[in-house]
Amino acid sequence: MDGFVKFTNQSQGRDRIFRATQYACALSIYLLRNNAERKDLVAKLKSLETNMSAGRKLFRLGNTINSIEAAKRTMRLSDRVLCLCLTTANINRALYFICDNVLWARSVGLIRGVDKERWSLNSSRCYFLSLVMSLTRDVYVVLQLMTERARDKNFRQKMETHLGESPDVAEAVVPQLDAFCFLLLESLRSHPAVAVDTLKNICDLFIPLHRLGLYQSNAGVVGFCGLMSSVIGIVTLVQPKFTLKP
Amino acid sequence: MDSWVRFNAQSQAKERVIRAAQYACTLLGYTLQKGGATADLHKTVSQLEAHMSMTRKMLRLGNSVEALEAAKRAIHLSDSVLRLCLTISHLNRAMYFVCDNILWAGKTGLIPKLDQHKWSQRSFRYYLFALILNLTRDVYELRLLMECEGPYRASKAPHSPNPSTTLSADHLSSPATPATSAWIRRQLHLLVTVLYSNPPLLLDLVKNSCDIFIPLDRLGIYPTGPGFVGACGLASSALSILTMVHPWLKLKP
Repeated sequence: MDGFVKFTNQSQGRDRIFRATQYACALSIYLLRNNAERKDLVAKLKSLETNMSAGRKLFRLGNTINSIEAAKRTMRLSDRVLCLCLTTANINRALYFICDNVLWARSVGLIRGVDKERWSLNSSRCYFLSLVMSLTRDVYVVLQLMTERARDKNFRQKMETHLGESPDVAEAVVPQLDAFCFLLLESLRSHPAVAVDTLKNICDLFIPLHRLGLYQSNAGVVGFCGLMSSVIGIVTLVQPKFTLKP
Repeated sequence: MDSWVRFNAQSQAKERVIRAAQYACTLLGYTLQKGGATADLHKTVSQLEAHMSMTRKMLRLGNSVEALEAAKRAIHLSDSVLRLCLTISHLNRAMYFVCDNILWAGKTGLIPKLDQHKWSQRSFRYYLFALILNLTRDVYELRLLMECEGPYRASKAPHSPNPSTTLSADHLSSPATPATSAWIRRQLHLLVTVLYSNPPLLLDLVKNSCDIFIPLDRLGIYPTGPGFVGACGLASSALSILTMVHPWLKLKP
């Protein structure tokens, strides 16, 4: 119970739980959409999803400053690629939050005469760009890890034994591919934070891809991916060893 | 900016800011109504207030667990009065949060046929009990401090012309006698000194006093009107944000 209290005291923790609930509702609505007997339940889930979404928009009102502060911090990184990727990702997230705040103000009635569609598209575009930059950073970190491992003598011995193990299995037909996969899996296994972050970003990517029409999936896929990425996000907060630094 | 980031990271802090904004809307709505503003503007302000209230209910969804944990901690206090007041206050807060969560479920449509008025009244009753116990604790701490401070000041102060023996005889006969008024003045001076040298106690006392008008109005025990309720709510939220920004101002335990 103490851990639960500590987790919910962080506003990120609460937001991730609400996000997981929101996408779980979206997924359930999609799965039950054709079920005539569960129309009541579907209506309740829709109402819950709308309320959670509206509440989260208000809850996120101060996050632009958080992203700008994060961008300021990442600008001082020594590694140039990391600096570029992370700063661009953070700036795009700040822009996404600004669009989100404008949409909130419009939904509450504080600002009128705002084109909801245009601002919604803009927010999805900023979110998409920030995810692409985060994925680029993940790929760069993985490549760095792989190069480092490939140079390691102990690892090279391990790879020789693995390749020499079963010469009559299909993988041996393309030994370079097998070696590459082995190297990739070993690197990811030694640094689970990168694997978790990559998986989270890939799941998240389906959401703006669907909204922008770049890769039309359906509401069920969006709901599932959103739920997965929220659950991974919660795990990252509960177990700090899965958080990718910087 | 760094302090904003740290402040924002606590979900309770965000909830307090939204509370301040909600009561500011209440106050603004009352002012606009008195000032004869357009119905459109008034409607926007009321809608904003309702939206913030719903969001706060959603944000408070896990708080009964936190209140129970606080009650568990309060049971181990050494002072029996403090132990009693704080434990029961936290338990009442936990019950208030449970009623609040049920109200949220009713408003979002999860529980369709909920008597919202009944549950709302219930939740305000628990809130009122919790505030009364908090105020009792404040008054008890104040009394303890005044008892400590009183003899210390008496030993430091110059010898009074009226000896204490005439005091007890005089104050029974007529309340307007100079000895009584001198005693009252001394007590008031002592009260002000104690409060001035203990800012956490002063802040907690003012905050609870402001807060108590909200359930008193909503339960119909002492109706004051939306303007006064809005002003009290805004003041108590501002003080609570102050205690979060400066943790030394929070009354312990």
